[in-house]
Amino acid sequence: MSESTRHIGKPVPRIDGLDKATGALKYLGDLKFEGTLWGKVLRAAHPHAMIRGIDTSAAEAMEGVHTALTHRDVKGLNRFGIAVPDQPVLCEDKVRYVGDAVALVVADTEEIAALACAAIEVDYSVLPVVDDPARALEPGAPALHTDGNLMHRNEVTKGNITEGFGESDVIVEHHFSTQMYAHAFLELDAGTGLLDPDSGVLTIWCSGQYPYRDQLQIARAVGWDPEKIHVIASPIGGAFGGKDEITIQIYLALMAIAVPGRPVKMALSREESMEAGTKRHPFELDVRFGAKRDGTFMALDFEMVSDTGAYASLGGPVMNLAIEGAGGPYVFPHTRIGGRVAYTNNGFSGAFRGFGTTQSCFAQEQMIDMIALEIGMDPIDLRLKNAMHTGDLSAMDHRIWTSVGIEETLRVARDSKIWRERRERQTRHRPPLFFGTGVACEMQATGLGKGIPDFSGAHCDLEPDGAVKLRIGGIEMGTGVNTAYCQIAAEILGLPMDRMRIVMGDTDETPDSGTTTASRSIYMMGNAATLAARDLARVLGEFVAAHWGEGFSLCDGAFVRDGQSVSLVDIAVKAGEMGQRLRGEGHTVHPESDKDFGDGLPHIMYSYCTQVASVIVDAETGEIFVDEVLSIPDCGRVINPQGVEGQSDGGVVMGASYALLEEVLMEGGRFVNANFTNYSLPTAVDCPRRIDTVMVEVPEPTHEWGAKGIGETVTVPICPAIINAIFDAIGIRLFHIPVTPERVVEAIEANPECKAARAMSSAMG
Amino acid sequence: MLPPISITFTLNGEECTVEAPPEMCAADVFRELLGLTGTKVDCREGECGSCTVIFNGEPACSCLMTAAQLRGAHVVTVEGIAHAIDHPHEVQEAFVTEGAVQCGHCIPGMIVSAAALLERNPDPSEGEIRHAIAGNICRCTGYAKIVKAIQKASEMRALKR
Repeated sequence: MSESTRHIGKPVPRIDGLDKATGALKYLGDLKFEGTLWGKVLRAAHPHAMIRGIDTSAAEAMEGVHTALTHRDVKGLNRFGIAVPDQPVLCEDKVRYVGDAVALVVADTEEIAALACAAIEVDYSVLPVVDDPARALEPGAPALHTDGNLMHRNEVTKGNITEGFGESDVIVEHHFSTQMYAHAFLELDAGTGLLDPDSGVLTIWCSGQYPYRDQLQIARAVGWDPEKIHVIASPIGGAFGGKDEITIQIYLALMAIAVPGRPVKMALSREESMEAGTKRHPFELDVRFGAKRDGTFMALDFEMVSDTGAYASLGGPVMNLAIEGAGGPYVFPHTRIGGRVAYTNNGFSGAFRGFGTTQSCFAQEQMIDMIALEIGMDPIDLRLKNAMHTGDLSAMDHRIWTSVGIEETLRVARDSKIWRERRERQTRHRPPLFFGTGVACEMQATGLGKGIPDFSGAHCDLEPDGAVKLRIGGIEMGTGVNTAYCQIAAEILGLPMDRMRIVMGDTDETPDSGTTTASRSIYMMGNAATLAARDLARVLGEFVAAHWGEGFSLCDGAFVRDGQSVSLVDIAVKAGEMGQRLRGEGHTVHPESDKDFGDGLPHIMYSYCTQVASVIVDAETGEIFVDEVLSIPDCGRVINPQGVEGQSDGGVVMGASYALLEEVLMEGGRFVNANFTNYSLPTAVDCPRRIDTVMVEVPEPTHEWGAKGIGETVTVPICPAIINAIFDAIGIRLFHIPVTPERVVEAIEANPECKAARAMSSAMG
Repeated sequence: MLPPISITFTLNGEECTVEAPPEMCAADVFRELLGLTGTKVDCREGECGSCTVIFNGEPACSCLMTAAQLRGAHVVTVEGIAHAIDHPHEVQEAFVTEGAVQCGHCIPGMIVSAAALLERNPDPSEGEIRHAIAGNICRCTGYAKIVKAIQKASEMRALKR
């Protein structure tokens, strides 16, 4: 395709790259307003306590303090939450985690606001802390919410699991666990709210992944008509799902309403952001897996418990995607996959790149290697034997009629140098260094799922100077979709990239395009942009026919007829004289499965990825170095290969860090490492020595260009691929992440018969 | 905070005087008092490197410096890295063409660290590049394209010499 296209499939540099590299780009926390006041949140002093009283009088009496607000000042519904609004905006009677907001202060300076927060007296009656999800679900556990601690339960079945295990020649089973993990987006939650007393419009400038939903959640809490609330949510300095839920938008709204005409700014510290914001859910997983001696997968049984912390947010949908992803991109005749979500006082978890599939894939892809070992089959051959194809029934028993490229990605992996030479490379290392190679696959549900409104709008306008402006309600958080949308419109209209403009994520300036999550942007908003650009071409054609005559056709950004050319500038001038706006519109709705398992299940569109990793394990220190990674996403048709590579590189490093490094530690409902000094993130010297990306392009027929999203899938299989590589290196399987050096050393000491321990002792002897 | 004092220093090649409390964070002086918001503050404890500026010739975290320390100093922020307003530094150009920019919040600090590296070491190895930016955390790119961009910038500068 790229041969016949001008922009699609080309490594077009991002349109905002230079503004970011020069520091000129203003993020929403960089905006400065005359007469700005500062806001601050008083957070809960305890992870679990009743509130007997709140006294703000001392704070309000302080010089420089404009107001202090409590739950009594929340005039609408004092709750927020994407799926289940169960989180108080400002707690009235109970706090359930240390990030809970109890009061707000508006003051002349940030310093005064902080001092005033400290002067607010809250009378607490401390409750027992619930910090273990399994115990939270036991009868008699102290309940966080009136309905108890079971937030969500779901189960899907296919065939007959008892029969499936009965017909299996080999059965493996194990328990796995995954940690709480921080988004650690670099741009901290910051923004400004302003109520214009003349127009009565409340404007909120604050990063968020879905401005129209932020607008509704704000409106619901303050009790206003959403039309009177203007949310500007883009650009974003990183989110990864962590800015999908409300962060500080409602606080900004409440404070701005309290001081009409004065801008109120807020900026969270790293600790406050880490403690208050969502995380990746920790999971406990019990898996049983049966197969025939020839490698045919027969039966899969998954039981999972996740810890969603104090509030629901997307705890239910995250578990649903863990369930949906548990089968991976494979065919199983018999399955039972279930999960429960527990409320605890451990912070609060929600959306995170990978969205539940990260956790179930970690277990599932190790089970496959365990089966491969049992029956003596190559791990890639085993995966290929069971790989799903278009038309197959999923592990949830719904037909996948969209594109499935997992087989193609596995073939690339099997033929790769890193896989073919893995045994030879292994022989080049001597104790205490051990070399190993592992593989894993993933199937990532994209879009929002069955029954959940999943639509996108786009506008494409001719500007007064003849340039073209796209208006898309999604946000730009770093992935480069802004550039991809412009490539699409420029392709259709035959324009150079420098004639394209784009505005995103603004409830006044853009249509509602849905949330920028679920790897849905390039699919949904890419389609909407396509339709909008085509519609503009139609509108322009009609305008030219009306004013210059019939017979013109669009060619390279101008309308031509027998040597006569009408440029977009000519059209813009004419339209300007007539006071006419020339706009194209595009609206799309996501396709759905004909099956309905409830709660948004199933999806119908998936992206697929195979990743191969080689590691070097130092058996003395327990350190693991990721040597090389081959990342093979099935992207559908690629719009911008540079963008895909960037997603893949970053996803690999994030997923490797999930496997080996990062963990949010909590003790008794309190954060132990909520800053960057104690919460370690990978730096440029901690990365894999080499990352290669091979894009497999199996076109998705329902997308105008054949594309689908890969922002999440590139993050997921790398973790089990690394764990499988560690097994290949030292002969020990690690069931709990992160695999820290301490855990490796302990595991080797506890397994004197493992490959590494024996080699070490013979090397010493 | 203490009452403001008058602080004169050289900022991006020009003399600059601000009235600031002596203990005010230097990054806030640039951002809040001078409107230079290219410098980002993402951790306020010298771990992430988003606030990196060149301070008397060396890259440093401006979140760990006070306003008083700026007195008499030579400071270059990301806004002063370009050769001229319409003539970006090679590092800036290469970051764009190599696809090294994603969300962009780490990028100003990264650009400053990279430009400082190429001043003292015009032809760095990959290891030297990785070491030079080890104090700058990027959550998006996995650093691969950032390293490539700095190598490319080094080549671009070599061609010009």
